[in-house]
Amino acid sequence: MTDDPPNSDDDDWYGEADPRVPDAPSWPDRDLGFLGDDVYLAEQAAAIADDDDHTRFDEAEMRELERRLEQQRTPVFPIDLRKRLPLEGVWRRWRALAMWGRSDVVDDFGRDPRATARWEWLFEFLYSRWFRVEASGLEHIPAKGRALLVANHAGTLPYDSAMVMHAVRRDHPARRDVRPLVEDTVFHLPFLGPVMNRIGGVRADPENAERLLLKDELVAVFPEGEKGMGKLWKDRYRLQRFGRGGFVKLALRTGAPIIPVAVVGAEEAAPMLGKVTWFAKNIGIPWIPVTPTFPWLGPAGLLPLPSKWFVRFGAPIDLGNAGPAAAEDRLFVNRIADQIRNQIQSMIEDLLGKRRSPVLSAFLG
Amino acid sequence: MSPYREARVVAVTGACTFLGGELLRRLEEDPRYKKVLALDIRPPALTPGGKVEFVKLDLTQPTVDGELATLLAKYQVDTFVHGAFLSHPTHAAEWAHELEDVGTMHVLNACAGIEPKRFVMVSTTLVYGAHPKNPNFLIEEAELRGHRDSRFVNDKLRAEKQVQRFAKEHPNVQVCILRFAPILGPTISNMYTRFFSRPVAPVMMGHDPLMQFVHEQDAAYALQKAVESNATGAFNIVGKGVLPYTTVLALLGRVPVPMPQLIARQLSKVLWATQLVGSPPSFLDFLLYLCVADGAKARRELGFAPRLSIKRTILDFLGVAPEDGATDVARAQA
Repeated sequence: MTDDPPNSDDDDWYGEADPRVPDAPSWPDRDLGFLGDDVYLAEQAAAIADDDDHTRFDEAEMRELERRLEQQRTPVFPIDLRKRLPLEGVWRRWRALAMWGRSDVVDDFGRDPRATARWEWLFEFLYSRWFRVEASGLEHIPAKGRALLVANHAGTLPYDSAMVMHAVRRDHPARRDVRPLVEDTVFHLPFLGPVMNRIGGVRADPENAERLLLKDELVAVFPEGEKGMGKLWKDRYRLQRFGRGGFVKLALRTGAPIIPVAVVGAEEAAPMLGKVTWFAKNIGIPWIPVTPTFPWLGPAGLLPLPSKWFVRFGAPIDLGNAGPAAAEDRLFVNRIADQIRNQIQSMIEDLLGKRRSPVLSAFLG
Repeated sequence: MSPYREARVVAVTGACTFLGGELLRRLEEDPRYKKVLALDIRPPALTPGGKVEFVKLDLTQPTVDGELATLLAKYQVDTFVHGAFLSHPTHAAEWAHELEDVGTMHVLNACAGIEPKRFVMVSTTLVYGAHPKNPNFLIEEAELRGHRDSRFVNDKLRAEKQVQRFAKEHPNVQVCILRFAPILGPTISNMYTRFFSRPVAPVMMGHDPLMQFVHEQDAAYALQKAVESNATGAFNIVGKGVLPYTTVLALLGRVPVPMPQLIARQLSKVLWATQLVGSPPSFLDFLLYLCVADGAKARRELGFAPRLSIKRTILDFLGVAPEDGATDVARAQA
């Protein structure tokens, strides 16, 4: 193929070689210093050692193998859409368009860095404008290494987990990502579930949590779970039972310190006046909340009210000296769980005492 | 013949499947194996001369176990690879049941008498089932839920349970079960490649589970490793990384069609009954919930680590270079 006929038109076109221009040095004489001497020498040695006939034989064998593979290949679909498509250009553009706003690499638990960046403005707006969150005690969160954040839970939608996540990402010097554990009812909720997953939420499952902690992540749990979210207005800021103490077992098994977190303001963001269980099971949710806005204003009623929020991170509780074996001691686990629950309750009451008004606190001081 | 003292004899059922064929080719090149018996109802497409010998064997025949036992004794088989499983769901459910469930029984009957040194079975991660309560990474000890009404999955599940029972009853036989994640690649054909070859794909409205694939060459390498090694037990053979279903569709350039669950199920029933699509209605659950397995045990005990990431696997299936498309951005730190 490279053999041109001796009298090609190229000679006429380029004319005679200019005697003033030196000939370009041919390959081995060229300055290959940038490759380093050893690379160059190795290449040369390889080129010398390589028998010409041998390489040609390899190529022929490869071609034969490829031909046989091609024969073996059978089309999957009448038109082999894997190989050629009608309107190839349109298809390429469609692929580029479809990848907009999402990245092609997500982490093991489905957190998509681009999707997170895409929703950042919304969280920032909610955090600093809508809820005017005041976070304190962020210095208790380690700059690296595992830790288990244990927080109270309220509100019809998990705005509190989003705010805890955003507080750490925004105000902590290491800008760490918190992985909140999301209860099943929210995780499998259409539309909301996948969004929660893409921005870092993980299904609340002991195996998932253990895996995350062993990867030295910061995990947030809401041990009240569904009961916390389903609290009525009259029970506001009264902590529910802390599950079965699974989070204590988790901390004992992985040696992660427990950081108690108190969130104040989520109750007023979506005050639940009542809940309707009738028909709710049919659409896959445990209850239909009734708030001052919700069924009345339609989907817009799910937007939170602009209450004033406080988030306080407590001093870490290290259970390291108890050892992983203590996870089997149910009495011990339950005692620790209750102790942490009481601590969060007193932190909440402390914050509530400081707050003058649920909504206008920022202005009243 | 062989320079090795302990040359092995391997029997492979399902020699015409992708994995079977790849295994034959790899064993042919390996001097540690003396003889390879290819068992199937038709000869494998690429039969190199010498080591591989084809024997026609139909696992749906009622007396095939005796036939197989004589074969195993005659050739002194020490490693048995059971890979005669369907890669596509079929409407001939009775035949599929005879082949997968009852066929495995025949194979195990034959092996119970001979007791080969090693027994390797090809299974899938679909036997874990897609379930809302699945953790993000299913380990080998997780419950095998199967699927409520998928015969395609349940036949494989029953076959696997039989093999597990066989492993308990015959401690002398090293039993190794490989659960492959859905295999994608340029040459393989299975339910997933057929599904992703269509220009449109259904999306369960508001749901976007993470998906996991393994490249065909990685899968073939894993099977080769399983034949070589002494590891016993079940192993998940999975690729590197996961991606959300809609991102997979976007990378493939398929048009997602979001549908409410109710409509999708009815439509799927109609399309399956009229044989217009190759995936049964039960497959929709795998578009709703997670079914992702953890490959750490295979890395630890089998010495298998996948070479290709999920993105490279998808692009290789598609036949485009990784540089193609405006997708190579925002690498996660993970």
